[in-house]
Amino acid sequence: MKIIGVAACTSGIAHTYIAKEKIVKAAQALGHTATIETQGTIGTEDELTPEEIKAADVVIIAADIKIGGRERFKGKKIVEVPTSMVIKAPKGLIKKIEEELKK
Amino acid sequence: MNELTDQFSIADVITKDLINLDLKAQNKEDAIIELSQMLLDNGIINSVDAFSKDVFGREKEGMTGLGQGTAIPHGKSDSVIKTSLAIGRTNRPIKWESLDEKPVNIIILFAVRNTDANTVHIKLLQRVAMLLADEDFIHHLHTVESKDKMLELLSKEPAE
Repeated sequence: MKIIGVAACTSGIAHTYIAKEKIVKAAQALGHTATIETQGTIGTEDELTPEEIKAADVVIIAADIKIGGRERFKGKKIVEVPTSMVIKAPKGLIKKIEEELKK
Repeated sequence: MNELTDQFSIADVITKDLINLDLKAQNKEDAIIELSQMLLDNGIINSVDAFSKDVFGREKEGMTGLGQGTAIPHGKSDSVIKTSLAIGRTNRPIKWESLDEKPVNIIILFAVRNTDANTVHIKLLQRVAMLLADEDFIHHLHTVESKDKMLELLSKEPAE
């Protein structure tokens, strides 16, 4: 499945980027692809393109704060979790999404 | 990311003087103070009190223990002169709020200037954060035997 998402944490220094890496690694390990935008202290990086959003099967919002541009995902399946959850159990989260999407 | 390392290296945000593999602290507060003192001694921050206050403030907002004995306290503070890292390792694990509810003995303190026009340093810190998503990297943090080896480890490219 094609996963996209946004990661953002309180100070935008560390957890945001750990969360991004964890999602990407776990997705790869489970045979999926993941493209994650980061909204950190130095602004937005790897901004999702409209094409990526259109093609995505699911949107993971791994954030401890309100993210910018949420309206871009209107009509998409959105999974919202704190960054800590993604850092702790990234594979568990993706497996759960796999099951949800099968329903 | 490769462009970044072509022009800048991890040495821009951490040096041997900012690594202490024999931290004396036995609790979280002392560990943050001890690392902050090291930052002060190296001209990275201008006040241990002001900086550690901002770090403790961040601690209240959410846990910085990542699990596997590693914590990443951080402070974005007016007292920071140059965005940098300080790394400490304790012999005995100390109590810390962590995702796996276990104590830590590797503490990576991120010191970030409040208004940093230079995003390069912040990007170098981000790279270190990305490395922390790798369990092998964390394993090596616990086992490296020298400051040189620690610097070498931190220079690794995050695997995409």
